[in-house]
Amino acid sequence: MPSASISALTPAHKGCAASSTCLTRRNFLKWSGIVIIAVGAGVSPVVGRTRFPICHGYLLVDTKKCQGCMTCMLACALAHEGKHNLSRARIQVVQNPFEKYPDDTFQMQCRQCVVPACVASCPTGALHVDTASGNVRRVDTSLCNGCEQCVTACPYTPSRIVWNAAARLSQKCDLCINTPYWNETGGPSGKKACVELCPMKAIAFTTQVPEQTDTGYRTNLRDKSWAIMGYPTD
Amino acid sequence: MNGYTGKILRINLSRAAISTIDTAAYAQWGGGHGMGSAIFFDLVKDKTITGLDPSNVMTIMTSPLTGTLAFGAGSRIELQAIGLQAYPLPWFTRSGIGGRFGAMLKFAGWDGIVIEGASDVPVWIDIRDEDVRIRPCSELSLWGMDTVQCQETIWAFIAGGSRYGDWIQPLKSGNRTTQRPAVLAIGPAGERLIKIASIIHDSGNASGQGGFGAIWGAKKLKAISVIGTGDILVADPKALFEARRWAISQYTFPLDSIDATKSMWATMPSNLRSFPMPLVFWKRPPDSRPQACFGCQAGCRCRYGDAIGNESSCKETGFYQFYKLRHMAANAVGNTIAFLDSIGKKSTAILDELYERMLPITQRRAADIIQRSGINAGEFEKGIPYLRDLNKLGVLGPGKDIDTDLPFDKLGEIEFLERLVEIILNREGIGEDIAEGFTRAAERWGRLEKDLKTGLLNCSYWGLPMHYDPRVSLEWGYGTILGDRDINEHCFNPLYMIPMITTFMGSGPPLPAEEFAHLYTDRMVPFQNDPRMVDFSDDNMYSESVAKLVAWHRRYSRFWKHSALFCDLQYPDFFNWAAPDYKGITGEGEPRFFNAVTGTAMSFADGIELGRKIWNLDNAIWVLQGRHRDMVKFPDYIYDTTSPWWGTFHCPAYRDGTWEYVPIGTRSLDREKFEQFKTLYYRLEGWDTTTGWPTRSTLESLGLGYVADELERDGKIGNPNNGSCEL
Repeated sequence: MPSASISALTPAHKGCAASSTCLTRRNFLKWSGIVIIAVGAGVSPVVGRTRFPICHGYLLVDTKKCQGCMTCMLACALAHEGKHNLSRARIQVVQNPFEKYPDDTFQMQCRQCVVPACVASCPTGALHVDTASGNVRRVDTSLCNGCEQCVTACPYTPSRIVWNAAARLSQKCDLCINTPYWNETGGPSGKKACVELCPMKAIAFTTQVPEQTDTGYRTNLRDKSWAIMGYPTD
Repeated sequence: MNGYTGKILRINLSRAAISTIDTAAYAQWGGGHGMGSAIFFDLVKDKTITGLDPSNVMTIMTSPLTGTLAFGAGSRIELQAIGLQAYPLPWFTRSGIGGRFGAMLKFAGWDGIVIEGASDVPVWIDIRDEDVRIRPCSELSLWGMDTVQCQETIWAFIAGGSRYGDWIQPLKSGNRTTQRPAVLAIGPAGERLIKIASIIHDSGNASGQGGFGAIWGAKKLKAISVIGTGDILVADPKALFEARRWAISQYTFPLDSIDATKSMWATMPSNLRSFPMPLVFWKRPPDSRPQACFGCQAGCRCRYGDAIGNESSCKETGFYQFYKLRHMAANAVGNTIAFLDSIGKKSTAILDELYERMLPITQRRAADIIQRSGINAGEFEKGIPYLRDLNKLGVLGPGKDIDTDLPFDKLGEIEFLERLVEIILNREGIGEDIAEGFTRAAERWGRLEKDLKTGLLNCSYWGLPMHYDPRVSLEWGYGTILGDRDINEHCFNPLYMIPMITTFMGSGPPLPAEEFAHLYTDRMVPFQNDPRMVDFSDDNMYSESVAKLVAWHRRYSRFWKHSALFCDLQYPDFFNWAAPDYKGITGEGEPRFFNAVTGTAMSFADGIELGRKIWNLDNAIWVLQGRHRDMVKFPDYIYDTTSPWWGTFHCPAYRDGTWEYVPIGTRSLDREKFEQFKTLYYRLEGWDTTTGWPTRSTLESLGLGYVADELERDGKIGNPNNGSCEL
């Protein structure tokens, strides 16, 4: 497979001094767009000497459809760890009850980035592209040394890398590949706990690389039923 | 101890002392109300104290299911203390709150909070996992703030230099969270000991009944903030997942299948909710989203594009309307628009414009005013019409016997409400009287007896505003007068709502009357063989069957609803439009979720029996406070005037050997027959029929011998020989 060299793009920490090699949010989005085009042309993105085959699946969230129940967070931690813990959910919902709609609630999920800064920043290879499981960006916790470089490398706020302070290691969305606490097979070709249990159907899954905007993937899951209930669909 | 965190936070504000109670010591009560009553009984030695006494103890309890995926049971907390609102005696009482406080408390590692004593200076409690501090309000100038300002100030303090939406690290442990702390706060009403003051959480969650806001005010407690980053352990995660998916697939309509009919049924109280349709009594602006309590599958509140009225639902959205023809017309227009929307026909811009001109967001602003002030909407719902009627009678107004400058020409406008709240908070003029609640205000004005005789003051039980009419909704009225507060439990509403609405719509009830009755009563263990429990017809109003209904209802609610904390708007789910044969989840669902989380083997009947134990403990506390059978009666107008519902309620009824649906709605209660009913009820509970006091044998059979000891010391143990009477 031909590869596209993006050698100028050097993943770096969000906290690094402003330099031409920093992966800023704006640069990240710009490069993501280029990579998507490249991928569309059958090209695998490469950072430095590292090749990043694209992930075979992506979570899509429609933040205007979220009701803030946090069922997705409950389902995520329970499926992965057999217990509820908001701080360990790989998808986060943040809300302000006094804010105006639609700025009152946001769902924030791992993008399985085409150019995964978290993977590129990992010095031990713990954060890796799992080629055996649909190229999902995953953490091999046995290799994680707790340096948190992946946490700061993630260009999004909040970082989609979840820090497990007790175990001192990083965790992230694996599209439910490793979910021993429910009776389903996960991964790109399987079921995802957050998608399955979201009562609003505000989380979807796609195998196509989604179009990105500054606020997330461009997603509208609000259908005719949403309109019948009197909620906006635009 | 799956489901529980294992410890309860105990805070003595008088001594600024923080300690813990081992949850295991109270786990037999199953969480929530049961635990709260048991702790209250143990810690409050003199049950005759007033609500404002520093010795009054408030418990704020979660359940094993709080913070979990248990269907419709993930969010609620149960608050209990001796209250301030009921008349003549403010009973030991309860109030619940949804939202996310309970879940956050569990994630912080606490099954509940016990508040004792009173601080000398205003304080707030800062809980960050294990780290608990009692902080002076002066640091943040919290005392005097409204509930929104208070919460936002605490959020900013906890976040420090961080900002929500990013990971913050508010804890020494290094754990991180993206979440805002969950805060319970009182407003100016609570601080000023207004006896109809509430406790507010987030934007629209309120502990309204009981005047608990003033209890906090007396303790100089402004707020409790909690942020949690820990675990809630679940006994069988796979079983919990499967139970959740089973409930969704078997007992709710798919979200994309909504139509007008399903919307009506699947959002009715005490049906598992299928759709996130808000329970609001105003026309919802289109730029909105549904908003749900923690873990709920279908939110019943909204947030709006202008944020006005965010998260308010039910009472607080409907208490301020219908005062003028213009308001009633606006409501009709709003309902027309909503109906046109629901059947897929877009309302016209002219209708929208008309609505906005007639009632420009007044109701939503009104909701925000009382949420920010921390005032109970239920009191205003009946209290404001009382003021209006007194004004029309020429009794109340400028220069009248009851002198006030309230601008009645602005009734229905925001100006009137703002002035009313102002005079109450400042205890200015009649505001000093209303600060005691409308029943006590009527007493101060020398009108209580007169206005309860006519019903001008529509407070139908314990001086509390009527919710459902006890002359029609027997389980509601009887349950309330035998208890401590407006029960606000919608368990049997569908029993008379579904036949009524289907008859009105022309389709007729979905099941023959006898099958409909059995659909309910077949699961009402241990009385399941008596379908006449749900026969609300005139001939059956005072029967032993209805006594069983009331007993079952109290037991179900005390455990499954108030202790395990299943949401009132969804449980019990007897009749369910989405379920096979209309048979709802109740009976099977509650224990399935409870056992998946806790790993126990509790049956539905076990829960009902535990509810009986809790109900007996509560009744013992009321008796120790001073309750006697003679006090358990409705005001005169419930006996002497007829209910004005013109046969609009339809119920299954057994007549001349056959079951049929009959209209009820225009009737009164009979004093003598209600007294006979009380005797039947007390006998059923094993209590002294002459006093209503529990007997030692009944209490001991429930493992409550120590409660009998205390009653006996007070000379209030029931006489076992008074278990029968002539009817």
